[in-house]
Amino acid sequence: MSQLHELISKSQEFSEFETKQKHTWCSGCGNFGILNALQRALVLENIKPHEALLCYDVGCNGNASDKINSYTIHGLHGRVLSLASGAALANTKQEVIAIAGDGATFSEGINHLVHAVRNDYPITFILHNNNNYGLTIGQASSTTKHGFAMSASPDGVIADPLNTLDFVLSLKPSFVARSFSGDVEHMTRTIQSGLNHPGFSYIEIMQACPTFNKATPQEWYWDKIKYIEDYPDYNKNDIWQARKMVENMETQLAIGVLYEKTEQTDFLQKVESRKNSTTELTQEVQNRSIQELLQEFV
Amino acid sequence: MVSRTVIKIAGENGMGGLSSVGEPLQKALKRLGFFIHSEREFPSTIKGGKASNTFNISTQPVRSLSQKIDIAIGLDREGVKDALETLSNGGILIHAFDRWNKVIKDLPAQEEAKNLRVVLIPAREIAVENGGSLIMVNTVLLGYLWKVLGFEIEILKTEIAEQFSSKPGLINLNLKCLEAGYNYDSGESLPALNIAKPVEILKTILIDGNTSLALGAIQAGVRAYYAYPMSPSTSILVYLAKVSHKTEMLVKQAEDEITAVQMALGSMHMGTRSLVFTSGGGFDLMTETISLSGMIEVPLVVGIVQRPGPATGLPTWTSQADLNLAIYSGHGEFSRIVIAVSDPTSCYLEIQNAFNLAEKYQTPVIILSEATIAMSYETVGVFEDNLIPVVRNLVKPENLESLQNSDRYKITENGISQRWLPGQSKTTFFANGDEHWEGGELTEEADKSEQMIAKRLRKTETIIAELPEPEIYGMEKTKLAIIGWGSTKNVILDAIEILKDQNIEVNYLHYTYLWPLKTDKFLKFIETNPNFFIIEGNHGGQLADLLQKETNLNPQEIDQRKLNKWNGRPFFVEEIIEFVKTKI
Repeated sequence: MSQLHELISKSQEFSEFETKQKHTWCSGCGNFGILNALQRALVLENIKPHEALLCYDVGCNGNASDKINSYTIHGLHGRVLSLASGAALANTKQEVIAIAGDGATFSEGINHLVHAVRNDYPITFILHNNNNYGLTIGQASSTTKHGFAMSASPDGVIADPLNTLDFVLSLKPSFVARSFSGDVEHMTRTIQSGLNHPGFSYIEIMQACPTFNKATPQEWYWDKIKYIEDYPDYNKNDIWQARKMVENMETQLAIGVLYEKTEQTDFLQKVESRKNSTTELTQEVQNRSIQELLQEFV
Repeated sequence: MVSRTVIKIAGENGMGGLSSVGEPLQKALKRLGFFIHSEREFPSTIKGGKASNTFNISTQPVRSLSQKIDIAIGLDREGVKDALETLSNGGILIHAFDRWNKVIKDLPAQEEAKNLRVVLIPAREIAVENGGSLIMVNTVLLGYLWKVLGFEIEILKTEIAEQFSSKPGLINLNLKCLEAGYNYDSGESLPALNIAKPVEILKTILIDGNTSLALGAIQAGVRAYYAYPMSPSTSILVYLAKVSHKTEMLVKQAEDEITAVQMALGSMHMGTRSLVFTSGGGFDLMTETISLSGMIEVPLVVGIVQRPGPATGLPTWTSQADLNLAIYSGHGEFSRIVIAVSDPTSCYLEIQNAFNLAEKYQTPVIILSEATIAMSYETVGVFEDNLIPVVRNLVKPENLESLQNSDRYKITENGISQRWLPGQSKTTFFANGDEHWEGGELTEEADKSEQMIAKRLRKTETIIAELPEPEIYGMEKTKLAIIGWGSTKNVILDAIEILKDQNIEVNYLHYTYLWPLKTDKFLKFIETNPNFFIIEGNHGGQLADLLQKETNLNPQEIDQRKLNKWNGRPFFVEEIIEFVKTKI
C-alpha cells in the first residue's frame, strides 16, 4: 500500500493530531512539510496523541508547539535534547521526540548534542536545518555558507560552515539519517525509521527558508539530492561509508538512513542500577525505607 | 554544665593520614557514647596546603565548633605548624616530626609562650619495630592519643579492625602499631584532660549533611539524580551513585549543570521525582531552567550547597551568601519556595517537605545548604521512615478521563491548576515556555497574558498562608535575642546553653522557610525582644535586608543589628558568646 493510501485508511487517527491553532510561518517555509511528515509518521506508527511527548526548542520550529495535538514541552533555546532525554528516561513507554533548529543544536547547545549521541538516549531527534536563525530575522548560524551576507554579518559570514553530519558521525552515533523538507513522503519514512530505532536517532532535515536563506533555495537542494537507495552497494551499517558519503556538502546530498549501528543498544540497560528494573521511574515514587542504608552510620 | 573536649588531627592535604586516623577515632568516640560534632578543613588542592579534622566531643549534644583546641596530633610538618598555631593555652601536641628543629625552629618558643605540652613520639621506629610501614606512624600516634584521652584500647581496636576489613593482611600490623603507641611511655607526665564520660549510650547515628540530604531524597521517592561535580555538593552524587544498586535510583553525572537541571525538569514533567544539587556557580547556570519551571508549572527541586563566591571563590569553605541568589534568580516573575537546612536532621526532613511543596504548588523549590553543614559529622537521632508521607497532588485516577485540556493551566483563585502526567489521560496539554492560555496553547494577547502571569503569581499568597512560621528557641522574652537561618542555628543553640550556665538568657528565632517570607511572628518577636541581632555568614546581611524590606523597618536601625562573618569559616561558639556579652 502506498503511504498516501495507508494514511487515507487512517484519516480518523490523522485528524486526532490536528489542533485549531493558526500557523505563523512564512509561505513556502519548510516547516509545513516537516510538521506534516511528523504527523504522518506518528499515525503510520500507530502512536496516539497521548502516547507521545513532543519536545520543542526555541525558534521557528518551536512555534509548532501547539500545532500538533500531543503532550508537549516547549523549553529553552539550545536545551531540548537534555530536557527530552530526562523525560524519556523517566518513562520509556512514552514516545519522546525532540525538535530543534541548527542554531540551537550547533551553537547554543552543541554540548548537549555531543553527549546525547554518546549516551545514546532513547529519543528521536529531528533537526530543522535551515542554515540560519529565522525567528530572530536572518542571522548566520554555524551552518550558513561562507561569505553570504546575513543581518548581523553584512560583510559576509567569515567562518566555514560546520559539516553537521560528519561531526555527528565522528561521535559514534547509533542512527543518522537525512531528509529534505520538500519531500514529505521521504521525511515521513525517515522519521518512521528513527521512531523504530531504540537509541538516539539523529534525523537532519535540510529545510528551505525562502525568506532568509537565499543562498540555498529549494531548487539548490533538488539539484543535488540523491536517494541513498540509488547508490549501488551502499551499506548503511558501515560508518566509514557514511562518513565518505557526507564529506561533500556542495554537489552531492544523499538522503535516507545513512548509518545505523548493527547492534541495538538501550541506555537504561547499560545502567547497572536500572537494568533489572521492570517498572518505570514514574511508577516508583513512594516513601522508600532507608533503614538498611543507615546501618553504616549507627 | 556543657563541657566539651576538642581534638584536632592536622596534616598536609592529600596525604591520607587524616582519614586513616580521623575515621576510627570518630567512630570509637561514638561507640563510647559521646556526642560529636566534627569538621573537616582542607584547601582546594589534591596535595599540599594544610588540612585538618576537628572533633568536638561532649556528653551533651554538641552542634557547632569551638575555637579552643585541647589536644592535637600533628601528622607531618604542616600538621605540627597548624597545631602550634591553633592549640589553646595549655594544650597538648603529639607528633612524630623528628626534624622539627630544622624547619620549625621556633617550636620551643611557641611551646613556652602558650604553655603547651609538646610530645615527640619516635613513631617511625615504633612502627618499624612492629613490622609496620611508614604510613603506620599515624596508627602509632593514634594509639598514644587514645591513651592520653584516658580510654580503654579495646573499642578502638575494633574500629581499626573494621577500617582494614577489606585489607585483612594489614589488620594485625595496624593493631600491633596501635597497641605499641598506646603502651609507649614518653616519660612525660601530661596534664589530665578530665573528660566526662557518657553514662549511657543512646541510639544515634553519626552523619554529615550531604549524606542526610541524599537519604532524605531516597525516603522522599526521588528516583533520578542528575548532577555535575562541584564542591561542596559532590558527595551527594558520589553517595547516591554508591548506593544506587540498592535503591535502583538512576544516578547520572551530566555534562554540565544546565544538562543536569534540564534532565531533572524533563523527568519531573514526565512524573517521577528527580533531584539536582550544585553550588552557587553551578546554580547560576541553572537559573534559566528555574524560570522555565516557573513558567510551565512543572515542579522542580534544586539544591545549592553554599561556598563563598564570587566566581570560584573558596571552593572548600562555607558561606551563607546565596540567599539572594535563591530568591531572585531567574528572569521574569514567578512563584517559588526557598528552604534552608541547618543540620543533618533538617537535611533529611526538609528535602522531603521540598518535594511535597514543589508538587503541591507546581513551582521550583530551592534548598539552601552550606559547606559546613554538608561536611560536618554530627551525632543525631536515628532517621525514621514515613515521617513525611509522599503527597503528589495529581489528578485522581477516576477523574483522568473527564479532563479538559484547559484544566491544566486553568485560571484559578489560588493560582493552582490541576496537574496530570504525560500519558496518563487521553486529554493532552501543551507545556509551553512561551506565554500560553489554559491548555498551554500559545498566546500573545494582552488580556490573556496579564491573567496568566497574575494566576501564576497568586501562588505566592497561597504558599505564604500555608508555610510554617519561623521557630523560637528559648524563652519568649529575654534581654538579648538572635535571629538567623541555616547553620548559624547550631552555634547559637550551643551558645545559648553555655550562656544559660552563666545566668545570661538569650533566645533565638530561626527561619527554615525563607521565601515567601513570613513576618508576623518576627514582628511580634522583636516587639517582645527589642534588643535583637541578625547573625549571618555573609557580608551584607541578606536575611536582615530581606526582613527590613518586607516589614518596612528602619534600614539604619537594621544595619546596627547585623553580625556577619564572611571569611569562609563558620561562626565559633566563643564568637557568639563574646558578641552577646558586649551587647547585653
